[in-house]
Amino acid sequence: MKSTQTDLNNSIVHQLPLATVLVDLSFNLIDASHTWHQFFPSKKDLNNPQKIFTFFDGHEGCTPELLEEYLIGNDIRTIRHSVMGKDNLQWLESTFAPWFDDNKTIQGTIIQTIDIGRQIQKDVELEQTKELFQATTEINHIGSWEYNIETEKLSWCKMTKQIHEVPENYEPNVAEAIEFYKQGYSRNKISMLFHKILQEGTSFNERLQIITQKGEEKWVAAGGKAIKKEGKTLKIFGTFQDINQQVVAEKRTKESERLLTTLIDNLPINVFIKDKDSRKILVNKAECSYLEASPDELIGKTDFDLYDNTVAKTSRDEDLEVMRSLKPMLGEETINVRKDGSITHFLTSKIPLLDLEGKAYGLIGMSMDITNLKQKEEQLRNLINVTAIQNKKLINFAHIVSHNLRSHSANFSMLLDFLIKEKEPKEKERILGMLSSASDNLLDTLENLNEVVDISTNVNLDKKSLSLNEGIKRVQQNLSAFLEKNKVEVTNTIDESIRVMSVPAYLESIILNLMTNAVKYRHPMRVPQITLTASNEPKGIALSVTDNGLGIDLERYGDKIFGMYKTFHNNKDARGLGLYIIKNQIEAMDGYISVESSVNKGSVFKVFFNEENE
Amino acid sequence: MNNIFIIDDDPITVFGIKKMLKASVSCENISAFDNGKMAIDQLRLDIENGCPMPEVIFLDINMPIMDGWEFLEAFLALPIENRIIINVITSSIDPADYHKWNEFRLKCFHYLNFKNKPIFKIETTDLSRINLAS
Repeated sequence: MKSTQTDLNNSIVHQLPLATVLVDLSFNLIDASHTWHQFFPSKKDLNNPQKIFTFFDGHEGCTPELLEEYLIGNDIRTIRHSVMGKDNLQWLESTFAPWFDDNKTIQGTIIQTIDIGRQIQKDVELEQTKELFQATTEINHIGSWEYNIETEKLSWCKMTKQIHEVPENYEPNVAEAIEFYKQGYSRNKISMLFHKILQEGTSFNERLQIITQKGEEKWVAAGGKAIKKEGKTLKIFGTFQDINQQVVAEKRTKESERLLTTLIDNLPINVFIKDKDSRKILVNKAECSYLEASPDELIGKTDFDLYDNTVAKTSRDEDLEVMRSLKPMLGEETINVRKDGSITHFLTSKIPLLDLEGKAYGLIGMSMDITNLKQKEEQLRNLINVTAIQNKKLINFAHIVSHNLRSHSANFSMLLDFLIKEKEPKEKERILGMLSSASDNLLDTLENLNEVVDISTNVNLDKKSLSLNEGIKRVQQNLSAFLEKNKVEVTNTIDESIRVMSVPAYLESIILNLMTNAVKYRHPMRVPQITLTASNEPKGIALSVTDNGLGIDLERYGDKIFGMYKTFHNNKDARGLGLYIIKNQIEAMDGYISVESSVNKGSVFKVFFNEENE
Repeated sequence: MNNIFIIDDDPITVFGIKKMLKASVSCENISAFDNGKMAIDQLRLDIENGCPMPEVIFLDINMPIMDGWEFLEAFLALPIENRIIINVITSSIDPADYHKWNEFRLKCFHYLNFKNKPIFKIETTDLSRINLAS
């Protein structure tokens, strides 16, 4: 009976799927499942009872003493042990439970063993993950938080507390946590996000500002994710990262970038960057407005696309030289001609752009528009020329004045000296007569000089459009007696419609002087003839006065003919002033006078009026 | 002294020089000319006719038709063997005139003096350089 029962028991135990062994009170192995023997291979004959301890030989974590304690214990105990298997360490877990018979009498111990290798591995992995997580957290200043919806409890990890600068024993709640966010945008945002994750389970990750316990303002990245079970949010898990340095650095970079862009863009200088092939890769506002195009239209263009060919060639040569020599070109005066032909003067600098190996991969160019300066310089040069001419005239005039006045005063001194020494009354009277004529001469001279000064000081000349013929007729009327007496033949071929720009008084003075000169210096053997003609010249009308008089040896007198006090004929009427005065009048109106003459044939004086007002 | 030329277009100056000459020297012929052209024409005629040359010339610079410088240029070209004293007289204080005179003086075979107006007295050197030249 007992034997049958044992057999029955035996056969059942053998088939148990879980590794199981039965041990009697004497610690002998009664029976074991086949699965158990996979963990504990049988070492001897199964018929001879064997002590259970022998099977645990070589197992780490369970000494025979410990086993015995477990075997005699009246409760269920678990032990973990390991043994070196064929290839690797095998982790096992054995559970000891007391074995009772029907009468509840203790018979021995049932031991069940399971392979816990995979679980151990997971434990190790978990441990590693935790360490990794910890390290990541510390390095990146990432903290975490958790909110339990049921208990309404908020918990912060150590790092989160450090970021908030609160002590480690600080216990936050939701209201306090939200209070840490900076008033305004940050606080409003986090309140809204937290509300949304509670209601709808929407995850978030936002950059916001907090003010720590110690009052420091910080940028943080706060994230939250709802942990759900069967569609219901149980917990919210979140991250909390200190990104202050990052944000501050980013802001600083952006600020300096913006500063640089603003600076380059608003410089009143054309700035451009060119690549190796002289294609523009950056242009500022000034460059765009100069070329009347948008940056997009200019990027990728070369000077050949934008400027006159010769200018582009020169510019390209400069670029190549700068990139070849690596020496900047500084403050060179350059001339740009745009496609429409307009010319701009620039002060240009080109600086090579070097890569890490020190090779040029392009250049920065800066051009300052100095067209205005150039124009001013030109104006100034013209002004200097005008001044130099004026100055020369003035010195000449001063010498003439000094000479003339001095010659009169010298005469006075001389005559007065004679007068003082003279005893004879008759001679005295003669000297007095001389003195009076010297005084008359002086008055004449002063009058003449006054006339000249008048022209030179008439700065605001009011030129008017005048009929040339009307002017001539008026002069002819004034001279009618003089012309008649000398039997002058006047031929006037000028069209009635011709008008000239002139100061009215000057026009009459010019015609009067030229006509009287033609008569004064007439040929003694001929009837004086004066021919007046007009012609169209580039700047306006030219009046020609032709006579058949004595003529002047221009080779000999050339430049002196219009000089002051220059007379060339033995003529008592000659003052040497008429031509000097009209030349000054004509030049004061921006015109000029020319003369052609041959001795004994006659002269042609040609007056060029200037129609322009400036 | 036999022959003196005064070349000046100003009658007052001519009068003055003549008056001063009368006081300091006896001269038979004192001729006055209105400009250089008239004087040079006379000199050319005199050379042709074998007449004696003037011993002293008073020469104004600013004159119509032919001025003093032009006269000097023409005068130096004349075949005259005797050294003649030429007194250049001017009221000009333009330094250029003085420089021009000096240029003429250096290249000139004749004696050249420079006198600024007003003149009150005829100096002996204006009329005679014989002692100095010998």
